[in-house]
Amino acid sequence: MDLRPDVLLAILLLGVASYACRAGGFFLMRYVAITPRVEACLRAIPVALVGAILGPVAARGGPPEWAGLAVVLLGMRLTGNELVSTIAAVAVVAGGRALGL
Amino acid sequence: MTDGAISRSFTLDGLREGVLGVRVLIPGTAMFGMAFGVMAKAAGLGVWEAVLLSAWVNAGGAQMATLQAWADPVPLLAVVLTTLAMNARYLLLGAALRPWFGGLPAGQSYPSLFVLGDANCAMGLRRHADGRSDAAFILGSGFVLWLVWVAATAAGHAFGQVLGDPRRLGIDFLLGAFFAAMAADWLGRRGNLLPFGVGVASAIAIDRWLGAPWSILIGASLGALVAAITWREEAGDGPAT
Repeated sequence: MDLRPDVLLAILLLGVASYACRAGGFFLMRYVAITPRVEACLRAIPVALVGAILGPVAARGGPPEWAGLAVVLLGMRLTGNELVSTIAAVAVVAGGRALGL
Repeated sequence: MTDGAISRSFTLDGLREGVLGVRVLIPGTAMFGMAFGVMAKAAGLGVWEAVLLSAWVNAGGAQMATLQAWADPVPLLAVVLTTLAMNARYLLLGAALRPWFGGLPAGQSYPSLFVLGDANCAMGLRRHADGRSDAAFILGSGFVLWLVWVAATAAGHAFGQVLGDPRRLGIDFLLGAFFAAMAADWLGRRGNLLPFGVGVASAIAIDRWLGAPWSILIGASLGALVAAITWREEAGDGPAT
């Protein structure tokens, strides 16, 4: 069993942060209503976050990563299956790197 | 959204309905958990660290997003902010449960919220709207998914152990691929394209001089801010994931 103190502290804090989100909305609704504009903002946070993760992945990547991203989008359009699309993309990236692209 | 009544019932039958009702989600959760275990191994987490993380945090998207910022030592502020950003949508799920769960004693509602997820929340609210309002459904269904999630994390980590060099196998791209699949799903909904685009563009610009995780956090904030500013009455079915 190998548990580092900084990792343990991070896990503790992340769990508290997650539960605060789960319980926070329920708790606050006793006192305030969420306005539609705030709701739009809360809904947009994870969408923007995913965009902000993907932007640098695309910008730092080369042809294998670009092909991988294209394969995910194509796979999702054709199959709608996240797992199939994801694994196909990883295979494309591994293949591209093996070819030295 | 919910026409059902406020719930006073929290029974073993409801718990059992939750356990059985969520079976269809087990394969998907197991695969997602396996993928997280593989990625956690590639990011340098030990098996017990990964299992503890899944058991205590219990939020797939947030856990994956924090791996993007993970380093040795762990940048605490960055991973906490990333988790808060990814889980901000849970505020809405919790708020949506208020009409249904508001009448329960805190000893029943608050433990249930620990295993609240996108899928079992949607299922539970649909059942509640149909008049099946036993509130123990969330705890039963959430507990099963939690067990699967934790076990799959351990299995994925073990699988990652026998895999070779993560970069050669493209494992480092798995995270990006998962988020791209998520984005493909979300971008079909109105109002999501703008915050997504702002997130992409600002993160690329910031990445040049600050790097991750600040590119991710600032990009997410700017995207959400633009969504709030441009919000109009008729706009916006956001992500439901």
